[in-house]
Amino acid sequence: MPRVPILRLGSTLIAAVQEDLYDRDALELQEALTAELERTGARGVLLDVSVVETIDSYLGRVLRDIALGAQLLGAYTVVVGIQPAVAVTLVELGLELHGVRTALNPEKGLALLQRLFRAERRRGASDGR
Amino acid sequence: MAQERSRGQTVSDAQAATIAQQRETIRELQTPVIQVWEGILALPIVGSLDTARTQDMNEALLERIVQTGSEIVILDITGVPVIDTAVAKHLLETVSAARLLGAEVLIVGLSAHTAMTLVHLGLDLSGVTTRTTMAKGLELAFARLGLEVVRRGPPAPAAALDRGDL
Repeated sequence: MPRVPILRLGSTLIAAVQEDLYDRDALELQEALTAELERTGARGVLLDVSVVETIDSYLGRVLRDIALGAQLLGAYTVVVGIQPAVAVTLVELGLELHGVRTALNPEKGLALLQRLFRAERRRGASDGR
Repeated sequence: MAQERSRGQTVSDAQAATIAQQRETIRELQTPVIQVWEGILALPIVGSLDTARTQDMNEALLERIVQTGSEIVILDITGVPVIDTAVAKHLLETVSAARLLGAEVLIVGLSAHTAMTLVHLGLDLSGVTTRTTMAKGLELAFARLGLEVVRRGPPAPAAALDRGDL
């Protein structure tokens, strides 16, 4: 039984973390998400971390790795719901999560993904000409 | 003698209390977070930025971002006298923290002098969008949110209307 359920909504995978993630859970999540991306060919990943109260350097790296892996599989990743206190700690640790897109909440995250999909379609259309 | 000392003690206690109160007032006043439009927050920074102040500022800003669901933050540094490496580092911390909550930070109010200083110090602000004035920053913020300001007719200042000139 996976600790983080992964739902599919259209071409987006949604993973809502239910409790603080420990190293092994984070790795499991990364593997499960990557496998699911390959299986479904989804083009976006929405990762909700609103209940997570501690993000250490390891989890920060796993989040970045998830985004990089997803990019290789042709998908955008948006991490949503980072708590203010967590954001402050991350910055103090020098973990700015460069390369990871962020949004305030799932709603704004989905809107951002839609914008990214649209921008990609436009680029694709102009490349085809 | 003992009485005099105790009076002196009371006076200095009162002074200490006043100073503490004033310090608290200054702390509250120095970093107001203003919602200038739906989705846009502005922070006019006046005076220099130290670590404690940056922490207060970040805390207030992040709370307001969550509260208002804002996507753009405009940091106005017109009132910051000197931008050195320490101040720049603090500004970048604010930018990064807000970004983690999904908000983009625009830094406005850079003077030519500040720009030259930053270049000479070799500070990398390439990841940050900057503009010279608050007006230009607001214009950019509107553009980011897909908003546009248009004039509907000739300008009619309220003062002229009040005087009955029209």
